[in-house]
Amino acid sequence: MRIKRSNAQPAQISLVSMIDVLMILLIFFMITSTYLDLGMIPMAEQRDDPPPQGSAAATGGTLLIRLGPDGIARVHGQSQTPESLTALFTARLSTGPGQVMVLPSGGASAQALVSVLDTATRAGVQNLRILRLEAAP
Amino acid sequence: MKLRRTPRRSHPETIVALIDVVFFLLVFFMLIGRMDATAPFMVIPPIASTASPMPGGGATVSVGAAGDLALNGTEVDADALREGMADLLAATPALLVRINAHQDAELRRILPLVAQIEGMGARDVVLVVTPRAP
Repeated sequence: MRIKRSNAQPAQISLVSMIDVLMILLIFFMITSTYLDLGMIPMAEQRDDPPPQGSAAATGGTLLIRLGPDGIARVHGQSQTPESLTALFTARLSTGPGQVMVLPSGGASAQALVSVLDTATRAGVQNLRILRLEAAP
Repeated sequence: MKLRRTPRRSHPETIVALIDVVFFLLVFFMLIGRMDATAPFMVIPPIASTASPMPGGGATVSVGAAGDLALNGTEVDADALREGMADLLAATPALLVRINAHQDAELRRILPLVAQIEGMGARDVVLVVTPRAP
């Protein structure tokens, strides 16, 4: 006598565990993702072709801005507001490209320096340098 | 004659659509999320209206308001930072170095650091800012 096996139904794979894993991954990425809108200001950029020394100073002159520890920018000893700085930059740029140098105090905050750089860039200053005094060894 | 309706079997809800939605959300968050090492201390970058968009990648040096230092999310002292940066720059000479300084951090903590990193051979050093509409 031949016994016929009944056709076994293929086992169904449960999707529940996969959904669990997907949900855990989803929650992980939702929690760990931070949506920070950040920008950057170049501080040091090495170029293969450095600009010729003294060319900017020869055409438009150099404007030296001192940044005090109180965060106030001074030109020729006079305190400047962002508006007066913009006017200075505009007047300087009308005579040529010029060069702007910022000599910040060590006690000034990062925000104070960024504000001065921001004002200069908005006014159209292209040649902007930050000076730093260094003690001799 | 009274006809009796056969009781309807409720259809099981299909979960394929749910899986699709969850999967799309997962891919969405994986793509838009950027895994950046955050500083172990509070850092609020300065606000600037002329900032350029910041590319991903590179090394991040965080400077806290009190001068605390961190390299890629790990708090370090000045010597460890110097060694870590030297190793990173040796491995990737064209490394973008991001200075993520608190807006109240004093420049005496930041500018020497920039000069030091530049002296190690870093080609691109940028200051992280929070963009704001002018």
